[in-house]
Amino acid sequence: MLEIKNLDVSVEDKQIIKNLNLKIGPGEVHAIMGPNGSGKSTIAHTLAGKPNYLVEAGNVDFKNEDLIAKDPYERSLLGLFLAFQYPIELPGVTNASYLKQILNAHRKSRGENPIDAGEFLKILKEKSRNLNIPMEMHSRFVNAGFSGGEKKKNEVLQMDLLDPSLIIMDETDSGLDVDALKSTSEAVNKLRDGKRSFLIITHYLRLLEYIEPDYVHVFGDGSIIESGDKSLASRIDNEGYEVK
Amino acid sequence: MKSVSPLDCIIEISEKINIQNPSNEIKINCSNDENSPIIDIEIEKSKINNRIHLTCNEKQDIKATVNLQIYDNATLEFIDEANYEGATEIQMNTIMRPNAVFELYRFNKFNVSTKNSFVHNCDLQSNCIFRDFNFSNGSKEMSNVTKISLNEKNSKYIGSGVVIADSTNCKNQLDISHMSQSAISDCSFKTVSRGKSNVTFKGKVFVDDDCSDTVSSQISKGLVMSDESKINLTPILEINNDDVICSHGAASGKPDDSVLFYLASRGIEKKDAEKLYMQGFLSEFLNKIENVQMQSKARDYINQNC
Repeated sequence: MLEIKNLDVSVEDKQIIKNLNLKIGPGEVHAIMGPNGSGKSTIAHTLAGKPNYLVEAGNVDFKNEDLIAKDPYERSLLGLFLAFQYPIELPGVTNASYLKQILNAHRKSRGENPIDAGEFLKILKEKSRNLNIPMEMHSRFVNAGFSGGEKKKNEVLQMDLLDPSLIIMDETDSGLDVDALKSTSEAVNKLRDGKRSFLIITHYLRLLEYIEPDYVHVFGDGSIIESGDKSLASRIDNEGYEVK
Repeated sequence: MKSVSPLDCIIEISEKINIQNPSNEIKINCSNDENSPIIDIEIEKSKINNRIHLTCNEKQDIKATVNLQIYDNATLEFIDEANYEGATEIQMNTIMRPNAVFELYRFNKFNVSTKNSFVHNCDLQSNCIFRDFNFSNGSKEMSNVTKISLNEKNSKYIGSGVVIADSTNCKNQLDISHMSQSAISDCSFKTVSRGKSNVTFKGKVFVDDDCSDTVSSQISKGLVMSDESKINLTPILEINNDDVICSHGAASGKPDDSVLFYLASRGIEKKDAEKLYMQGFLSEFLNKIENVQMQSKARDYINQNC
C-alpha cells in the first residue's frame, strides 16, 4: 500500500524528517507516537503534499505510484486521506455543499456523473446518523463555529464519504472528550475492512485503546527510533518517551 | 427563479423604453429623449408588494435617468437583471416618503469592453427602510456610486455590494449621511479582484451633530486573486455626536493557503478550490437578504460568475 524509503523532509530550510523508512500493507493499522516537535505531523503533511514541505531525498510509493510527484488533490483522488488535527474553516460554504463537491470530485475522477441531489441526501443522512451528527450541522458553514468534537466528527464523515485506501489521522484525539473520542473511534473502526490501511499519529495511549493498532512506532528526532506491537504503546504510556 | 406575477411592472430598455405596467399603484412617465430618456416612477400605497423588473438585452449604449418616488407606506421591490452589452450611464434619484420600504436588487453582468456607471441618490424620510443589494461583474471601467441621506428619524439603510472584477478598473463609492437621530445604517462590501483588476471602495459614514442614537456599521473585504490585481479599501467615519454606536472594518489579502491545501487534500484541484474559496468569501453576507428568492438568486449569481 505505502512504502516510505529513506525520506528526508525540510520545512523552511530546517530538516525535520531524517531518513525515514516505513512500510504499511493493505489492512494494516500503524500508530506513530512521539513527543512534541519530533516530526509526527510533518510526516502526515508531507504525505498529503502540503506546500513548503520539501522532500530533499528518498521516495514514497503509494499503490505503486510515486506519491511525491503528485499534486495534493491527485493524492486524495488516488486514495489518500488526511484527517487534520485542526480542520480548516470555510466561511460562506455550507457543509452539505462542501461535502457534495468533494464527493463529486472523486466521482469525476472515476468517470462517474455528479451525484443526484436526492441520492446525496440519503447517503449524508445515513452516514451522519452513524456518527451522531445532526443534519442541522450540514447547513452551517464548513467547520465555522463547530466544537472540537464536531470538527473531528466531520473529518471522520469525510473519510467515510470518500472511501480512501489509506487514512492518516493526525492527532484526531486532541480536543475530544471521552464520549466524543469513543464515538469517533467506533466510527473509524467501522471503516476497518481488512483492506483499508491506517496511519494514526498520536501522543497518547487512549486513542489506541479504542483503535487497536497492528504496529506501533516511536518517533524521535525526525525518524522512527523503535517499533513494536501494541504493547509498545502501553509501555510508552507508563514510562514516557525519555526511557527506551 | 422568481416568476413575474401578473401585476409586476416590466421596463425593458431597448431601442426605446418599453413598459408593461398592469399595476394601478405604479405610475410611470417616460420622456422619450432617445439620447437620454428620463423615467419618472411613482409608487403609491398598495395592498400588495409593488414590483418592477428592469431588463435589457441590447448591445446599444444606454444613458438614462430614473426618478423614483415611493409614497407614504408604499413598498417597492426593484429588480435590475439587465445584461448591459453596451456602455451604460444610469442615474437613479429616489425619494422615500415616511414608512416606505424599498428593496433594490441589481444583478448585472457587463460587457468586458465597455464603460458602465451607476449613480444612485436616495433620500429617506422617517421610518423608511431601504435594502440595497448590488451584484456586478465584467466591464472595462465600472463605477458604482451610492449616496444615502437618512434625513429623518428611525430611517434605516441596509446595503451589501458584491463585485467580481476581471481585468476591470472598478470604482465603488458609498456615502451614508446620518442627518437625523435614531437612524441605522449597515453596509458591507465584498470584492474579488482577478486578472489585472483594480478595485477601489470608498465608504464614508457621516453623522451630523444632532444625530444622537445613531447606529452604523460598515465592513469591506477584498480578495486578491492574482499578483497583478489590486484592491484599495478606504473606510471613512466622520462622527459629530457622542451618542452613537459606529463601527468599521476593512481587510484585503490573498486566499489563505491552508484553506486551499485543505480543499486539495479532499481531491479538489486548484482552480476549483479557488472558485469554491471565492464563492464562500462572497457569500458571507448573503443572510442579510431576507427575501429568500432573492437570496437564492444572489447565491446563483455568485456561483455562476466566480
